[in-house]
Amino acid sequence: MNPELILSLLVLGLATGAIYALIALGYTMVYGIIELINFAHGDIFMIGTLLSLTMMNVFGINASAPPKVFTFDLIWKLAIGCLACFLICAVLGVVIERLAYRPLRNAPRLAPLISAIGVSLILQDGGKLWKGISDIPFPSIPLGFVTVGSVRINFVDILVIILALVLMLALQFLVTRTRMGKAMRAVAQDRDAAALMGVNVNQIISLTFFIGAGLAGAAAFIYSIRFSTTKFTIGYELGLIAFTCAVLGGIGNIVGAMLGGLVIGLVGAFVSLIPPSVLPNGGDAWRNAVIFAILILILVFRPSGILGQQVPEKV
Amino acid sequence: MSVSMTPRLLAPGRDLRALLVKWIVALLVPVAIFTFVWNGEVTFNDLWLTLLSQSKKLLYRDPVVLVQVGIFMLVLYATTMLLAGYLVAADSGRRSNWEIWADVFFYVVVPILLIVLVNHLLIGLGLSVAVFAIYAFVRGRVVKLLNYIPPSPREDIQVFDAAQRRVVISKGKIGGFWFSTILALIWVLADVAFFLAGAAVFSENSLWIWVGLRTVLFPVLGYLLGWVGGWVAARLTLSENGNGGAASNGNGNGRKVGRLRRLQQLSSARIAEEARNLVPNDLPLQSRGAWRFYLILLIVFALFYPALDRALFGSGTAGRLSGYGDLGYYVILALGLNIVVGFAGLLDLGYVAFFVIGTYSWALVGSDQLTALTSIVINPQVLPWLFWPMLIVSALIAALWGVLLGAPTLRLRGDYLAIVTLGFGEIIPIVFLQLEKVTNGSIGIAGIAAPATPSLPPLIPAIEWSSFNPTPFYYLIMALIIFTIFTNVRLRDSRLGRAWIAIREDEIAASSSGINLVRTKLFAFGAGAFFSGIAGAYHAAKLGTVTPKDFSTTDSYMFLAMVVIGGIGSIPGVILGAIVVYSLNVLIIPQLDGMAGDPQNFLHFIRDILPAFRFQYVRNLVFGLLLVCIMIFRPEGLIPSARRRRELHRTAEEAPEVGTLDSVPGTPGFEQEVRVE
Repeated sequence: MNPELILSLLVLGLATGAIYALIALGYTMVYGIIELINFAHGDIFMIGTLLSLTMMNVFGINASAPPKVFTFDLIWKLAIGCLACFLICAVLGVVIERLAYRPLRNAPRLAPLISAIGVSLILQDGGKLWKGISDIPFPSIPLGFVTVGSVRINFVDILVIILALVLMLALQFLVTRTRMGKAMRAVAQDRDAAALMGVNVNQIISLTFFIGAGLAGAAAFIYSIRFSTTKFTIGYELGLIAFTCAVLGGIGNIVGAMLGGLVIGLVGAFVSLIPPSVLPNGGDAWRNAVIFAILILILVFRPSGILGQQVPEKV
Repeated sequence: MSVSMTPRLLAPGRDLRALLVKWIVALLVPVAIFTFVWNGEVTFNDLWLTLLSQSKKLLYRDPVVLVQVGIFMLVLYATTMLLAGYLVAADSGRRSNWEIWADVFFYVVVPILLIVLVNHLLIGLGLSVAVFAIYAFVRGRVVKLLNYIPPSPREDIQVFDAAQRRVVISKGKIGGFWFSTILALIWVLADVAFFLAGAAVFSENSLWIWVGLRTVLFPVLGYLLGWVGGWVAARLTLSENGNGGAASNGNGNGRKVGRLRRLQQLSSARIAEEARNLVPNDLPLQSRGAWRFYLILLIVFALFYPALDRALFGSGTAGRLSGYGDLGYYVILALGLNIVVGFAGLLDLGYVAFFVIGTYSWALVGSDQLTALTSIVINPQVLPWLFWPMLIVSALIAALWGVLLGAPTLRLRGDYLAIVTLGFGEIIPIVFLQLEKVTNGSIGIAGIAAPATPSLPPLIPAIEWSSFNPTPFYYLIMALIIFTIFTNVRLRDSRLGRAWIAIREDEIAASSSGINLVRTKLFAFGAGAFFSGIAGAYHAAKLGTVTPKDFSTTDSYMFLAMVVIGGIGSIPGVILGAIVVYSLNVLIIPQLDGMAGDPQNFLHFIRDILPAFRFQYVRNLVFGLLLVCIMIFRPEGLIPSARRRRELHRTAEEAPEVGTLDSVPGTPGFEQEVRVE
């Protein structure tokens, strides 16, 4: 097999995997703390991609006239754009939690889940209203590339991977080393006991949504640098894949989500190697089917994921 | 009920007069609106004229249609007379007139007016559901604001003797008689007014025979039908000899267990439910007796609808009927999903997968694709007949897939299950899209055969099954819906259904009580998928073509919205949910777009402000908002199932009584009182 192809697929897989992992973190954090699959999370990511497009337009980076050469000016613009995306999406996540999930905190399990589906539909159509139903192109950012053998490795890919890693490390630090992180872990373990110990549970849940949605926003900005188009349905598709990553790694487990993201990213990249003789039309057409098949297999054979522990159900 | 003397027909007492006024007003308003505002009178006049004279340009040339419309009109008026009798007999008279009138106005008159106004059955119904929701909300607020406590029906459960039951029956007679007499008088007055205004119909002299006949016949008919209504009400009383007229339940010892005894054994919440069906009660409009009459009306309406449509809504019948055929499979899908989500509490977000499987089952067999795939050649004369066995086979195939896909997910808890089924909903359309050799890929399968029915020329006419003639499909889907509803009700009340509900409430407790979780859940998946298979086969046969583009994963959300909006686990609720979602999705939103596109319309300003805006784009937004709002404000849905209503409002009904404890904490009396053995 062609080693250059494998190398380029590897880079592609790691870059997409890093983005998946960032989205998966939001799922896993929210699930860990209130045991809710936040169906709207993928759509927050989608709103984030649309937002980053607006950011770039604000900074004068247009799809019609993309910058020709790389300048240091650009780095600042990108950094500010990423931060703004993080904050706006984070606030959106908190607002959603406040309006759609908090009133249902003590309702039967199905209720917040259905409410989450409703929010997801609302956000999707919001995106549709905002930017229309067709594919929206991102401006390409000229970050340059290195050549390894005959393979071109874009700096964008490396930047994406590094950015994602930095964010994940920051999150890991926040959760394991700070007071706030301790409170979050306490709420995840036992909400009532945490409340008795003086933890403001509502505040911590809001914080979780803030960080999770913010990471989705950052992921969206990174996505808009790396990939060429977005669409209002992208949140649904990527959200489902990211959820698969979260489950693969062990839901509720932050390191697991990162690991799951990378694995699924690589699988998604290498699926295209499957020849049309095995699957009609080649592996690319079946990518989502393969990923969901993996999801189902994990859930059937190891529902706790790679790093998760089997938790006995509370009675 | 202190009256034991049988009331007189012509001079009823003061109490009875108040009841008569209440119910005659409540019933006359909708009937009069139907008769004089809508097409009731015109239809009846035309019917009469067609029967007696051949001269006019008449609505009903076809005798079959004539008979159907005639039967419907007769049943309509007869049922209202029965209702008049029943309601007067069954009402306890404790609810104020205005409360009942407001209910009737918002739940009956408003829908009729809206349907007449928009001249479309489903758009009118869809809009009136919005009115219902607003009314229910405002009503709740007003009741709270005024601190109004409606009389609770469980307080006056009492045993009736034979004399009291005779009073109930005679009240029915009186109610029916006065209602129909007043209706007949109003109708005569209206006819005279039309005559004086010079309406063309009255040039036919034979019409006056009809007017005279009607005026004489109505009171007599009303008396007799009111009698029947009163008799129905009397059957629902608690009577001395056991069981309210019906055969008494004997148990092993041959001891009679009366209804009173049974009621006493029920929980207090159940008593409130059951007492609603006893006579007299405070809400006779919602009692089981009244529901019988509504059902008669509904069934007759649905049965004769294809004939009635032209009389009620004018031209364009074929398009509307075809639309109702589509609505029908929405209803079946919603009912099927209700088994999984509503009864068993398993959130299935990939329900569209089974629908796709059902659709392709008939599409592959009922078209040339079968020959192309297997080189089996079926005589084209025989092929349409295969639809009937294939209807069952597609359902079974879908059920099999339901079980197959359900099996691996059994170990999962609710929310994982949702994701996995979502994944299936995503995979299956991809599979059908990519397996080009079998399914033709994105081109899809065309030329799917429609079903065929036997014909025996003089007796049974040949029926033309084609997409140009939607009437047979209308009747087919009606039959399928009735089958689905019947099966759903029987399933719900069966041992299996109770097991589903037990699992929904508490899986661990259910399994500890000996319910086999695996088998029960698999049955739920299989049964749910079975109905989507039926709907799929019907869909393929009606449309004639299938492409993977017709199905998207968001359809699963739409099906879920039907179940949630209507009321999770409630069969009538789910049907209403399907109607609401269908009318929003297929009728109201395109209608709004059409209005916005028309420069003459007042909605056109939207195009001026936002040129790219289409109402279609916000379809999911509307569903999403509905889902969130329903979950937060009315989690039991529009028509909640009895069980769910009890569950969600238990705390409100059984608030702890003030002063339950007689002693102050800390005293010996207190210790004694609260001590647990």
